[in-house]
Amino acid sequence: MIGRDISVLLDKELKDLWRDRKTLITTIILPLVMLPLLGIVSLALIAQQPVNVAIVDLDSTRSTDPLLNLTVDSRWLVDNLTYHLHKYGYNVLLANSTQVVSDPDVDVVVVIPEGFSRNATSLKTTAKITVYRKAGYQSAARAESTIHSIVSVFSRNLSNYKLKALSKLAGINATLSALRNPVQAYTELVTVHGVPVSIEVELRNAFARILVLALSFVVTPAASYVIDGIIGERERKTIELLLVSPAPLSHIIYAKMIAATILGIIAAIFDALGLVTYIVLASISYGANIGLIIDYKLLIIHAITAFFTILATITIALPFITRTRGIRSASNVAGIVTTVGIVFFFTGFMIDYVKLSPEILYPLYIIPYVHSILAIQTYMLGYIYRSLLHLLFLAIVSIGLLVFTTKTINSEKLLIAPP
Amino acid sequence: MVELVLIAKDLHKVYDDGTYAVKGVSFSVAEGEIYGLIGPNGAGKSTTLRMIAGLIKPTRGEVYVDGLNVFEKPVVVRKKLGYLPEEAEVYGRLTGYEHLEFYAKLYGVEDIEETVKYGVELSGLGDRIYDRTSNYSKGMRRRLLLAIVLMRKPRLALLDEPTSGLDVYGSVRVREVIKKYVRETRSAVVLSSHNMLEVEYLCDRVGFIYNGRIVVEDKPSRIIERYNVSNLEEAFVKAIEGFEKK
Repeated sequence: MIGRDISVLLDKELKDLWRDRKTLITTIILPLVMLPLLGIVSLALIAQQPVNVAIVDLDSTRSTDPLLNLTVDSRWLVDNLTYHLHKYGYNVLLANSTQVVSDPDVDVVVVIPEGFSRNATSLKTTAKITVYRKAGYQSAARAESTIHSIVSVFSRNLSNYKLKALSKLAGINATLSALRNPVQAYTELVTVHGVPVSIEVELRNAFARILVLALSFVVTPAASYVIDGIIGERERKTIELLLVSPAPLSHIIYAKMIAATILGIIAAIFDALGLVTYIVLASISYGANIGLIIDYKLLIIHAITAFFTILATITIALPFITRTRGIRSASNVAGIVTTVGIVFFFTGFMIDYVKLSPEILYPLYIIPYVHSILAIQTYMLGYIYRSLLHLLFLAIVSIGLLVFTTKTINSEKLLIAPP
Repeated sequence: MVELVLIAKDLHKVYDDGTYAVKGVSFSVAEGEIYGLIGPNGAGKSTTLRMIAGLIKPTRGEVYVDGLNVFEKPVVVRKKLGYLPEEAEVYGRLTGYEHLEFYAKLYGVEDIEETVKYGVELSGLGDRIYDRTSNYSKGMRRRLLLAIVLMRKPRLALLDEPTSGLDVYGSVRVREVIKKYVRETRSAVVLSSHNMLEVEYLCDRVGFIYNGRIVVEDKPSRIIERYNVSNLEEAFVKAIEGFEKK
């Protein structure tokens, strides 16, 4: 009997949902198209930002150190900078004076001072270059970073040459790395159990963090669906006929919650697919092997987590939703609950919850979203059982909350909007 | 011996905001009888029907359907009961046929096919029953709703303003359906309305409800006779005036 009337109600809910093409399109097509599109547009726009770099060569001389047999011409650096900056898509102009710094159209100015060549060839001095960057532009900061890289390579080549020449003069046999970097640190990537792993694991972890963040996008459509299913039915005058049926109120609510969660799951799947598409596109452009990054077991864990996260969210919002006057106030109430979830998912994107001390973490266990985050984070660290335990806890809490909150609602409260 | 299908005893309802909507309503309805609950807007008709349907718990009083307490045996009673709310609506994305099927299944009727077939007949929608209800007129939707309520042949049908918002043709058709239904099934009907002509045509007995109380109750012809007027409308006005003077 219990299963029968819920399945009849659910069948009606799903039929109604399936025919609500606008809701389905916004739930399925939007993440699938928008997430990759957002990535493509961002990449395209980054490439479209014109950054003007001016190079001022106040030296324009060539200097030679006879001892080292080393010659440096400031124009070599100018040529290097011009070639590479052009290659990365920056506009380069050569200027004669530092006055160009005050030109608002110029974002970055590289000033090669007088005496550059002499200082660069010397064994006693350092040749200094000044880079003026206009504050507030991300694109200018990227150009500045490119300039520092080019200068660094130029400097390293000079240094290598000097070291070789000095070794030759001293008649010693030394390797360049021993002179330049006598102490070096290496990082070996390992799992929590110390098993060596490749860099792809880091990429997978980054993907998992994005999935935690993606939970933010799935709670909102589900909450909207519940609001529409309860308050919307009251406003559309369809709920009274349903409430007078022999189906208990709890079963009517369960069917609506399951339908909303199914919608949330659809949203979660297509959000994840949208993210995967975005990563595939990005990896194709960088020539990476996407198969190494996507973990299909993780996607399943994510889908289950999303299911119970949505259920917990709409269940927490339910008693408040049913006591509101209309869709607008119900949306505001649901907005508060979903915002709490979104805040936690953002922290889950940035914070390793598993690393929190027990004094902080254990009190947080009362918040269902913490288990959503931990289910994904512990799985990524290889703690499969802990991940399943958090999922189980999330399932028990969300189902328990559903049973409890449904008991706080009665047909009178649903029928008659509060004054 | 006439069997009573509905007994409403001393029903009171005070809402959370303090509104005293129903102040001691008592009446009973026998099988095959159509009882009219007549009164102006806000008199307490809908609240009384909602209490009988088990949707709103009375602050005081009891309701029995076929001898069963509505609030003690809600599932059993609801299967015996059909309730058409005044402002009920249908799901726009479902067809008329899907509505009949859905409610037949929800009420757990034994022969779904036969019940739905009867519902289609009651609705009089013909082939339009397979259209989505978003394409129906107000009259078609009301007829569908009436069919949803009556197709299961409930022992007690509560019809709150069944012809509300319908044109003349729609109203006449709905009245015919109700009359035919009671004749065929011997069910009891409680009908709320402020359309006196409708009540006079349909009801065996009426109760004038005013300010949360039933002030007069009898057969329409006897009430007309008692107040020495030509129709129920005039009788109602006189009854209310008399009540207010008291």
